[in-house]
Amino acid sequence: MTTPSSRDLEQLSAYLDGQLSQSSRARLEIRIQSDAGLASALEELRQTRAFLRRTPHRRTLHNFTLTPGMAGIRPPVPRLVPVLSWVSAVAMLFFIFTLGASLVGQLYVGKTASMNAAVPMGGGAGPLAAAPMAPSSANTATMAPLMAAPAPLAPAATGVPATSVPLAASSNPPAADQTAPPPPTEETSIVSVEQATPPAVSRLAQLQAASKSLKRQVNYWLFIWPGMAVILGASAIVAWGLNKRDFQRKNPPG
Amino acid sequence: MDESALILDAQHGDLQAFNTLVLAYQDVLFNTALRILNDEDQAADAVQEAFLSAFRALNSYRGGSFRAWLLRTVTNACYDELRRKKRRPTTPFEPETAEGEEVESPHWLADPHASPEESLDQAELEHAVQHCLENLPPDFRAVVVLADIQGLDYSEVAIAVHKPLGTIKSRLARARLRMRACLQGFRELLPVAYRLEEESSL
Repeated sequence: MTTPSSRDLEQLSAYLDGQLSQSSRARLEIRIQSDAGLASALEELRQTRAFLRRTPHRRTLHNFTLTPGMAGIRPPVPRLVPVLSWVSAVAMLFFIFTLGASLVGQLYVGKTASMNAAVPMGGGAGPLAAAPMAPSSANTATMAPLMAAPAPLAPAATGVPATSVPLAASSNPPAADQTAPPPPTEETSIVSVEQATPPAVSRLAQLQAASKSLKRQVNYWLFIWPGMAVILGASAIVAWGLNKRDFQRKNPPG
Repeated sequence: MDESALILDAQHGDLQAFNTLVLAYQDVLFNTALRILNDEDQAADAVQEAFLSAFRALNSYRGGSFRAWLLRTVTNACYDELRRKKRRPTTPFEPETAEGEEVESPHWLADPHASPEESLDQAELEHAVQHCLENLPPDFRAVVVLADIQGLDYSEVAIAVHKPLGTIKSRLARARLRMRACLQGFRELLPVAYRLEEESSL
């Protein structure tokens, strides 16, 4: 009976675990049968291994599963988010541009309206009343009603009441050679532009032109914004499409 | 459980698939860490760290025993923890009774399905094994825990500790001899069923 060497113990341990080659195993088995020391060492290794294998196994007190936060995984972003962010940016630009342009447009329209009101409309009765009158009595007779002609326009454009008509009529003293004009009557209060005197026609034409210009400007701004909205909306749709295509290229399915 | 499919899904970032693998292997990893570190809290930390590392490095897994691959991560985490403990040693918390006496086998360590006698026997056995494991160098401890307590074959142990087979054979034989010698000291303390036979020639 011999004391096993370290090499022998290593061989015995591997033999116990079935880790020896066929030839090594056969040689060791012959030695074990003839050497009581090797046989005893083998038995003790077997007992030790069995003892260790009986060590109780614990159950974990909690699970060790990972959360997305622990694993550094961000929650999946909906596919439309990048696209929608672009659309949002475009919409914001559109909003700012519209707001700014609207303010500028209002200022411009207001300025134009006040200019128009200052010249022919608001004080329409005054300048018109001060205009030289035609010498003919017929013309003179038609003046007072003519003064009333812009009256319907005046409240609309400037807020000046139509009561300026009598003032206009009374503030124009007739020429010396003129006969006293008959007071305006219902029949004479309605005259056509053709019946007016040339300077009055000119003023009336100015009034009408100013009115048309104002309407055109208002119409211009009324039409320009929907048009711009359509253009910017189309741009947003194109941007959405381009971004979607780009996103799909970067994140192919599967 | 189709392990290969789960691993493949997890490699593509499927956390749920990985967590299925975690649930399948967490007991093995926890017991390994517990035997190496002899501290439940540290073992739990090491296991959590190991699973986190495993998930991050999952693409480096190239097949073979997934259990061994996972055990390698937990063994590394345990080595890190042992190195940290060596640098900053701490006094482990020992539970005490109401009278201030130390409790050797806390109630939360007991197997709820075992009888009181069995629980006591198992606690004694566990205490003896753990004490003897503590006396082994960390490299030997890991090998004997993986091979004899967890039942891995040599090739899996070699993967887990990242050492050649020859080194595993040598370390295991020497570790068994040391364990044998240590456990003999507990012979009188252990229940009869767990006693080793009287030493003869070793």
